[in-house]
Amino acid sequence: MQKILLVEDNEMNRDMLSRRLQRRGYCVVTAEDGEKGLSLARSEAPDIILMDISLPAMDGWEVTRLLKANMSTRHIPIIALTAHAMVSDRNKAIAAGCDDYDTKPVDFGRLSEKIENLILEKKLS
Amino acid sequence: MILQNLSIKRKLTLITMLTSSMALILSSAGFLIYDLVSFRHLLTQDLMTQAEIIGYNSAGAMEFKDEAAATATLSALTAKEDIITAVLYRPDGKIFAYYFRGSAALPAYLPSRLQGKGYLFERGYLEVFHDVTLNGERVGTLFLQSDMRQWSMRARRYAGILAIFVLVSGLFAFFVSSKLQGLISNPILHLEDTMRMVSANKNYAVRAVKSYGDEIGRLIDGFNTMLSEIQQRDTALQSTNGELKTRTQELEEEIFHRKQTQEELLNAKHAAEEANRAKSTFLANMSHELRTPLNAIIGYSEMLEEETRDSGKIENVQDLRKIQSAGKHLLSLINDVLDLSKIEAGKMVLHLETFEVSQVIEEMVTTLQPAAAKNGNSIHVHMGDSVNKMRADITKVRQILFNLLSNACKFTDHGTVSVNVEQIKVEDRDWIEFQVRDNGIGISAKQKENLFQEFAQADASIARKYGGTGLGLAITHRFVQLMKGNIWVQSEVGQGAVFTARLPAQVVIDTADSAQSESTGKAPAVPAETKTGLETILVIDDDPSVRDLMSRFLTRLNFHVVSAANGEEGIRLAKQVHPLLITLDVVMPDCDGWTVLNRLKSDSKLAEIPVIMVTVVDNEAMGLDLGASNYLIKPVDRDRLAVLVEKHRGTRSSTITDDNPVPLSYVADRQADKKTAGTRISRTRRN
Repeated sequence: MQKILLVEDNEMNRDMLSRRLQRRGYCVVTAEDGEKGLSLARSEAPDIILMDISLPAMDGWEVTRLLKANMSTRHIPIIALTAHAMVSDRNKAIAAGCDDYDTKPVDFGRLSEKIENLILEKKLS
Repeated sequence: MILQNLSIKRKLTLITMLTSSMALILSSAGFLIYDLVSFRHLLTQDLMTQAEIIGYNSAGAMEFKDEAAATATLSALTAKEDIITAVLYRPDGKIFAYYFRGSAALPAYLPSRLQGKGYLFERGYLEVFHDVTLNGERVGTLFLQSDMRQWSMRARRYAGILAIFVLVSGLFAFFVSSKLQGLISNPILHLEDTMRMVSANKNYAVRAVKSYGDEIGRLIDGFNTMLSEIQQRDTALQSTNGELKTRTQELEEEIFHRKQTQEELLNAKHAAEEANRAKSTFLANMSHELRTPLNAIIGYSEMLEEETRDSGKIENVQDLRKIQSAGKHLLSLINDVLDLSKIEAGKMVLHLETFEVSQVIEEMVTTLQPAAAKNGNSIHVHMGDSVNKMRADITKVRQILFNLLSNACKFTDHGTVSVNVEQIKVEDRDWIEFQVRDNGIGISAKQKENLFQEFAQADASIARKYGGTGLGLAITHRFVQLMKGNIWVQSEVGQGAVFTARLPAQVVIDTADSAQSESTGKAPAVPAETKTGLETILVIDDDPSVRDLMSRFLTRLNFHVVSAANGEEGIRLAKQVHPLLITLDVVMPDCDGWTVLNRLKSDSKLAEIPVIMVTVVDNEAMGLDLGASNYLIKPVDRDRLAVLVEKHRGTRSSTITDDNPVPLSYVADRQADKKTAGTRISRTRRN
């Protein structure tokens, strides 16, 4: 079973997304802020991380950078989720080391496609 | 000279006096001369008569050589005061008798020889010679000398009288002339006074008084006429001056008011700009705040729909779908409004890149196939042979096509929607023309008027029947304008519609944007410019020829290029200029590309700068794992490099304005984004 770490501060979104992902058969671990996300990424070693960008205190960009700078977590694919649907966010996400990017409100079908693609790529490499 | 500067009064007196005195003196002198001459003649006659009488009386004495008698005769001359000498000569010239007044001795100047009878004037004396005869025989000669005492006395007296007369008459002339000169000088002096008064007081109302009808009178007339003319002009001038003053004052007031208005306007402008900023911030925040609950609504309803379907309660599925579709509609509304406000605030930025037109068309047709199928429409595509690549903002081109196509599908029932793309040349420029034709309900002339306006759907019933925000065409129109293109429509009610969007094949960003990129493009490593990091690309490569080639190539693409010969320098420059992106070589002495990449990505300030690896080392996975955005193998495919760097152009400015979102509205846009975002990563990974 694939393990997904969902870093999201909004409770409703966290609940909704995690339940839908679980329905798809993923094991979901959730974190409501960046620091918890960082520690869970290390302890749980998820297969993929869904990262909300606007987080209190340490934001998603920062968490992503730290994860990508760390040898033990660098290989975990990260999908950035932002409410600001900006072109610059996409570039920013790529630049920060995110492997993919999506805007909120999430199109669930599209998001699961992205998740599956990344997990598949990770397996192949 | 002194005479010339005398006052006219003096001059006149002097002239009169001189003239009358001269005349007087001349006439008196004439009279005097005449009188003296005639008196002398009289004197001569008298002396000659005297000589005749004495000659007659002394003739006997001479005959008889009686000297005493002769001397006695001569002595009778004592009575005659003016006769000073009388001498009787014998015929042989010897003195016979003589008489001298006041002296017994002979005078020194007796005539040396005896003359014939007659008179002469010599040395102020009158001398007379007379032959003494007796019975017709000459017996001697008489010589008389007179000192003309009477004459000189007369002359002196005359001169004296004349002098007194001249003096008296001169005084009289002075008196008279000084009285009469006023006739001439007074009017002139009056004129002069008047003139002085006018020029001193500038009072042109003064007039000179005319005394007589002579030349001076006429002069005064002329002067008065001149004065009245000057007065008229002066009055006119003064009134003009007054007007001018009033006008100047008015102008000053107006300038003051204008300045005030200008200031007010400036303040208003600042306020408006401030308000606009506040609006943008508000919209950005609202966007976030509205999306979060929408996220939950759409998400939960989708989830519930799945669960409901699984549990077999089909009747609820429809309702849940309605919630979803309402949510999605609300989302598209929010996106449209945001898009529009973004355009209105002038913050919509073009991100130009070169792409295949056919690819975009294919994408859009695929995306809209379901929408077309819903109304039983079929989509036909025709691509002109010459249509190839274009340079534009691909996202906005997609949105334009999506809007036109989805409208065509929406308003056509069981018909045909055809897309025709041609490359044409108008006014020496290449254009790509997109034509979307349908045979749907069409548009009336009245509806056409407001077709491209915001919130102007053909009419309210259409909104109810077909849905939509009425913003699609307005946004499409604005996007076309933004890329310096044109859009127009041909349609009639019931006859379908043809929308034509004509875009430049090579869109250029104008005014400030291009000026900026141009200046950065031209500037050769100016620190002031590089500090901003705007549009700057850092090239890190140890090979000078590669550095040179890259630098030239990127400069031609209007980037500012900074290059570093080794890793250390590269990291230092990256910190210093904070470039838009970095191209990085792997094989370098001392500090290799992997190390540089690792250090760049672990530095929070530099990590967000995209890095394109440009190397001979074929280890793409390593590069991407370390955080590189793209991986290019040398020799570099320039087109690929151009596409990659163009993708990043302008992203830095968007990064700076984080508060101003560029919403990726529309399903098509999002799907296309998904596609590029997805394929971009998978493509680079697979390579």
